[in-house]
Amino acid sequence: MAVEKILSFIKQKPDLMFAIILAFFVYCVFAFTNDYFMTHRTTFAIMERFAVLGLVGLALTLCIIAGEIDLSIGSNAALAAVIVVRFTDSLGAPTALLIAVAVSTIIGLIQGYFIAYLRIRAIVLTVGTLMLLRGISLFVAEEKTVMLTDFRIPDFITTKVLWYFSPASLTVIAMFVLVGLFMNFTKYGREIYAIGGARKEALAAGISLKRPMIIVFAISGFCAGLGGVIIGLRSGTAQALGLQYLLLAGTVAAFIGGVSILGGRGGVVGAVIGALTVNFLNTGLVFNVTPAFMVQLYLGILLLVVIMFQTGSVIFEKRQRRYQILKDIDNRRERLKKEMKGGAQP
Amino acid sequence: MSPISEPINQLPKPSILEKLIQRHSKLAIALLAIFIVVFVYGMVTAPNFLTLFNFKTIIRDAALVGIMAIGLTFVTLSGNFFLLSMKETAALCIIAFATGMASGWGFELSFLFTMVFALIAGISQGALIGIGGNPIVVTLGAAGVLYGLGAYWSDNLVVSYRRPHGAEWLGTGSFLGLPNITVAFILIAISAELLLRKTSFGRQVYLIGANRAAGRATGHENFWMAIKVCTIASVCSAFVAIAFSAQVSSAQVNYFSSEFGSSGDMTIMVIATVMVGGNSIMGGFGSTLRSSLGAVFISTVDNMMVLHGFNSGPRVFAVGLMIVFSIIVFAILRRGSRSEE
Repeated sequence: MAVEKILSFIKQKPDLMFAIILAFFVYCVFAFTNDYFMTHRTTFAIMERFAVLGLVGLALTLCIIAGEIDLSIGSNAALAAVIVVRFTDSLGAPTALLIAVAVSTIIGLIQGYFIAYLRIRAIVLTVGTLMLLRGISLFVAEEKTVMLTDFRIPDFITTKVLWYFSPASLTVIAMFVLVGLFMNFTKYGREIYAIGGARKEALAAGISLKRPMIIVFAISGFCAGLGGVIIGLRSGTAQALGLQYLLLAGTVAAFIGGVSILGGRGGVVGAVIGALTVNFLNTGLVFNVTPAFMVQLYLGILLLVVIMFQTGSVIFEKRQRRYQILKDIDNRRERLKKEMKGGAQP
Repeated sequence: MSPISEPINQLPKPSILEKLIQRHSKLAIALLAIFIVVFVYGMVTAPNFLTLFNFKTIIRDAALVGIMAIGLTFVTLSGNFFLLSMKETAALCIIAFATGMASGWGFELSFLFTMVFALIAGISQGALIGIGGNPIVVTLGAAGVLYGLGAYWSDNLVVSYRRPHGAEWLGTGSFLGLPNITVAFILIAISAELLLRKTSFGRQVYLIGANRAAGRATGHENFWMAIKVCTIASVCSAFVAIAFSAQVSSAQVNYFSSEFGSSGDMTIMVIATVMVGGNSIMGGFGSTLRSSLGAVFISTVDNMMVLHGFNSGPRVFAVGLMIVFSIIVFAILRRGSRSEE
């Protein structure tokens, strides 16, 4: 009974199963090769990384579900980080945090509005805003690396709660639950799936492009802002030109989580698993003293492999469908021939 | 403005401005007008802006980004959006070239050695895109791989070679008063334009970009086209890498990243150039001439801001603003036309 249930689950969601197996595999590789990997402290460190990468992965997952991609996510996070670090000393951490996240969310909102209003692809606009936001963050940071002076805030953010969690990662987990509920059980969440999977049909059915687009990019901006704030407050410093690696890492997380570039597929659970996989890889490689550029190399290879699998499966499905159609035609022709023969004999 | 033939209908002919306003949104006109005013104001007030020497400087600055943008234009025109791996291809190629030069292979051999890498990078990315991979995601992954390979190869260190070397003519030489890199930019711009306008390959690029289904129906698959255009883009990147390395007699993998230069990430600058030139990102509309002019234009604005004494923040901001501006303006101008979707 239980086996059957599991089997049917695998058949229903092969992408998710693949992601879980990959995550487990990556974890096992590092757990067996490194003595310190399977410890409480490492798990805490992984959760700390998950706080940021999970957010970015979530944001990109939502964007890709809607059939678009937000390239400006690194810049948006960097802007939030710069704002929060710059203004914490003068305004206090909570106000600075609110301002930073609000700015990022509003930027996302405006992006979503313009994408829907101008009917352009998101990549086109977000490449522009990528540069624009870098300029703004350079401006805010006055082209320096901004720093905190009060280090009680980083301490607070990284306090251990319940062995594995910190205030930052707990917030992020709450965010995941909220977005997951939103995507699966509200009308607006289903609209996002609709405009990603079948945009023309969705528009024909009367869904406006504006509302889901604005919601997606506002959430994306919010996630990027929150991620940037967490990074900024945790490390106590922020650079206007930093955080460029987030886009690659987040995209890898989203794609491992089973989103399709064609849109309309994937979900929050996948985003969690994808982000965890990337985290395992990242943390494990750091444990094995791998330089940062090698991490990038591995992530790139991982992304290419996942994309190749996905493209291959799409091509395979298309071919299968074509064969099916041809078969149907053949069957029909056979039947017609028989009927004609049957009709001609008497 | 004398009419050659009698107008068919007797309605008063609208002036050009009226036509523009009729046909396009007022918003686009307003944005353009604001931009022109700011541009002219900056041009007039900037010290030493309107001199021949400064003009030469602008073209020279535009050359490197311009050559890459010309390569990327082929990709964009063929409907494959853009490559996010331009800078990383250049990074791997600059390491390859400098390693060759440092080993004393001479210019020609190092050049060929570098081009091998460019070809491999271009063909493999093109094949992945051609079988149906999304260009953005494929090249995002490829960017990580190429950069990682370059960094791994050079150990993330500077590879340098001594000054009297065979590549000096390309980096610092000049021809008829123009730096050689400028001459190369002009030559590449002209030949790319001829390639697009006068050869069957060029027309195929437009065909596949404008209507992929029609292309497939007439036997022009995107697979081979993607390989060809990605190779062109990679070769252009490699050429820029070689020219840059020849200028500074050294190479490091982050030479094209934003941590190194002040005017932002090279890939994004190249994409900005293609967009500011007004090429349609969806493919099928545009030309390499537009990209070249876009490069000169961005370089002009950058130069103007430098002369006004702006720091890198406002300059990066200005380039970003120009991209967003051009996106909005062109999106409004093309509203309702076929190249919109």
